[in-house]
Amino acid sequence: MKKTLAYLGERALLTLISVVLLFPIAWMFLTAFKQPRDAYSLSLNFEPTLQNFVTVFSDPWNLGSMVMNSVIVATVTVLIAVPCAALAAYSFSRFRVKGRKFLFFLILSTQFIPAVVIVLPFFLMFRQLDMLDTRLALIIVNLAIVTPFVIWMIKGFIDAIPTDSEEAAMIDGASRLRVIKDIVMPMAAPGIMTSSIFCFILTWNEFLFALILSRRDAVTLPVGLVSFRTERGDLWELMSAAGVMITVPIFIMALFIQKHFTRGMTAGAVK
Amino acid sequence: MAEVRLVDIEKKYGNFLAVPKQSLTIHDGEFLVLLGPSGCGKTTTMRMIAGLEDITSGDIMIKGERINDKPPKDRDIAMVFQNYGLYPHMTVRQNIEYPLKLRGMDKASRKDRVMETAEKVELDALLERRPSELSGGQRQRVALARAIVRTPSIFLMDEPLSNLDAKLRVTMRAELKHLHHELGVTTVYVTHDQMEAMTLASRVAVMREGRIVQLDTPKKIYAEPADLFVAGFIGSPSMNLIDGAVKGGVFRTDGVEVPVDLGDRDGVVLGIRPEELEITQDTDAAIGGKLYALELTGESTLVTLRNGPTSVCARGHADFEADIDSPCHLVPKDGARFHLFDRASGERLR
Repeated sequence: MKKTLAYLGERALLTLISVVLLFPIAWMFLTAFKQPRDAYSLSLNFEPTLQNFVTVFSDPWNLGSMVMNSVIVATVTVLIAVPCAALAAYSFSRFRVKGRKFLFFLILSTQFIPAVVIVLPFFLMFRQLDMLDTRLALIIVNLAIVTPFVIWMIKGFIDAIPTDSEEAAMIDGASRLRVIKDIVMPMAAPGIMTSSIFCFILTWNEFLFALILSRRDAVTLPVGLVSFRTERGDLWELMSAAGVMITVPIFIMALFIQKHFTRGMTAGAVK
Repeated sequence: MAEVRLVDIEKKYGNFLAVPKQSLTIHDGEFLVLLGPSGCGKTTTMRMIAGLEDITSGDIMIKGERINDKPPKDRDIAMVFQNYGLYPHMTVRQNIEYPLKLRGMDKASRKDRVMETAEKVELDALLERRPSELSGGQRQRVALARAIVRTPSIFLMDEPLSNLDAKLRVTMRAELKHLHHELGVTTVYVTHDQMEAMTLASRVAVMREGRIVQLDTPKKIYAEPADLFVAGFIGSPSMNLIDGAVKGGVFRTDGVEVPVDLGDRDGVVLGIRPEELEITQDTDAAIGGKLYALELTGESTLVTLRNGPTSVCARGHADFEADIDSPCHLVPKDGARFHLFDRASGERLR
C-alpha cells in the first residue's frame, strides 16, 4: 500500500513537472496553427490554418532571410569552433606543459563574464571595422562565446579515453596528427557530436549580440521574433509560427543524433 | 642484428628519481624479462626503449644506432600493452592491418599478411568483429597479432598476460614462448609474476627501486640469488629466510641448527627453498617445531612449522597428513643448497 502510494505520488509529481515544462511549447505549437482571433483562447476547438507560416515568410516579415542568417551563422560557427576546440581540448588533455592549468582556467573564465558587459565593446569594435550588421561579425562573436565552452566539454570526453590506444598507434607508425585523426577523434566522436549540438543550439538561440550587432541584413531568427511585437500589439500566432521554425530544426537534429549520446566508442579498447 | 643497449640511462620526474643511472644490453634474439614488484621502474624502462618516455640522461642504442631522439614510429619496435590498447572503432582485421597501412603497404599484400598473421594466432574466424565483441584472451591475441604483423626488430611486452584468468595465462604463456621460438625476435617483457619470468626468459633482470639487482638466466637466479630481495622474490612458495647467527660452523636460531661453511657471525639470514626440505620422524632433525599449517596444492602439500618467531615451509607429499600443533621435523634433502645473507645489507655471504 505504502509502495503504491509512493509510486502514485512520484507519477503525479513527474506529470506536474512535465505539464509545467511542456505547456509553453505545446501552446506555441497550437498557436502557430490558429487564426488571429483564436490566439488568446485556451480552447482546443479551433480551425487550424497554415496561413501564419505563409505570412511570416512574406513581406514585411521575410523570415526566410532570417532563417538563412541563422543557418549560416550557426553552421559556420560549429564548423570552425568544433575542430579548433577539439585540437585545443586534446592538447589540454594530453600535454603536460607549464601553465596548462592556468591557461585552461583563463579560457574558462571568459564564460564568467556577463554578455551584457562585453556587448558594447564588441559593438564599438565592429563599428570601427565597418562590420556591423554582417554575418561575419555574428560568427566571430559566437566563436568567442562558444569555443571555450566546447573546449571544456570535449576535454572531458578526451580525458576519459585511455592513452594506451594512442600510444599503440604511435608505435604502429602514426604521427601525432595521424593519431588524433585515426584514433582519438573516432573514439571521442560521441562527445564531439554532443558538443557540436550544444554549440549549434547556443549559437542558434543567441539573442543579445545578434540584437545589438544586426539591423537589417544579418538579423537572425531569435531577433526576428521581436519584430512581431508591433504597434497593433503582440502578434502571437505569427510569433508562434516563427518559434516553431526556430525549434523544429534543433528538435530534428537532436532526434537524428540521439544514438550517439547513448553509446560510447571506447568499449573494447582496454580491459 | 637487433641488439638493444641501454647506456647509463636515467629517468627523473621532477625531483623523483624513477630509474637511477644504469646500463643493460639485450642481445639479438634474446627474450629478456624485466621482473620486479609494482613501482620498481620496469615499465618506465620499457617505455623509454619504446620512446613513450623521454630519458633524462644516457643513451639508448638499437642495432648500434643511437635512437634517443627518434619518435616511437621510427624505432622499428612493436609493443603489446597490459590493457591491450586496441582500436575499438576498428574491426579485428582493421586493427591488425593498421600498422601495415601506416607503412604504405598495398592493399593486396596487406590482406595476405593479415590473414597469415590471424591464422598464426587463431583469429582468422573473428576478423570482422570489433574488440568489444571479443573475450579477454581474444583481445590479447589481437594485440599480439598487431605487434607481429609487420615483423619488427624488437617486441616490447608490458605485462601482457596480467589481465587474463589463471588458465588462459598458462595457455598464452606457452603461445608466447612458441611465437618467440618461431620468430626469433629480440623481446623485452615486463612482469611482476616470477613464474612468467622463469618460464619465458632467456635472461631475467630483477629490478628493485629502479635498479637492476640481478641479471642472469632464470636457472642461475633461482639457484644463486644475489641478495635477500631476489631470494625472497623468486620461487613459489618463496625461499625460507630464517634469522639467526653462525657459531662454530653451525647456523642457530629457535628450532634450527644447520651446519654451514661460514665463520662466526651475528645477523645472518639462512635461506633454503621449501622443495629442498623433507619431513622426517627424526626428533633430532635440523629443523623442528609445531605444525602450523597444511596446504594441499594438488601435486604436493605445503607444510609450515613454527618455533618461536621462526617459520619454515617445506614441500611434502600430497598425501601427508598430521594434526595442527603436533610436533614436526624437517631435514634438508641430499644436495640441498643453503644460502647465507647478511641481515643488515641483504648481500649474499655464501
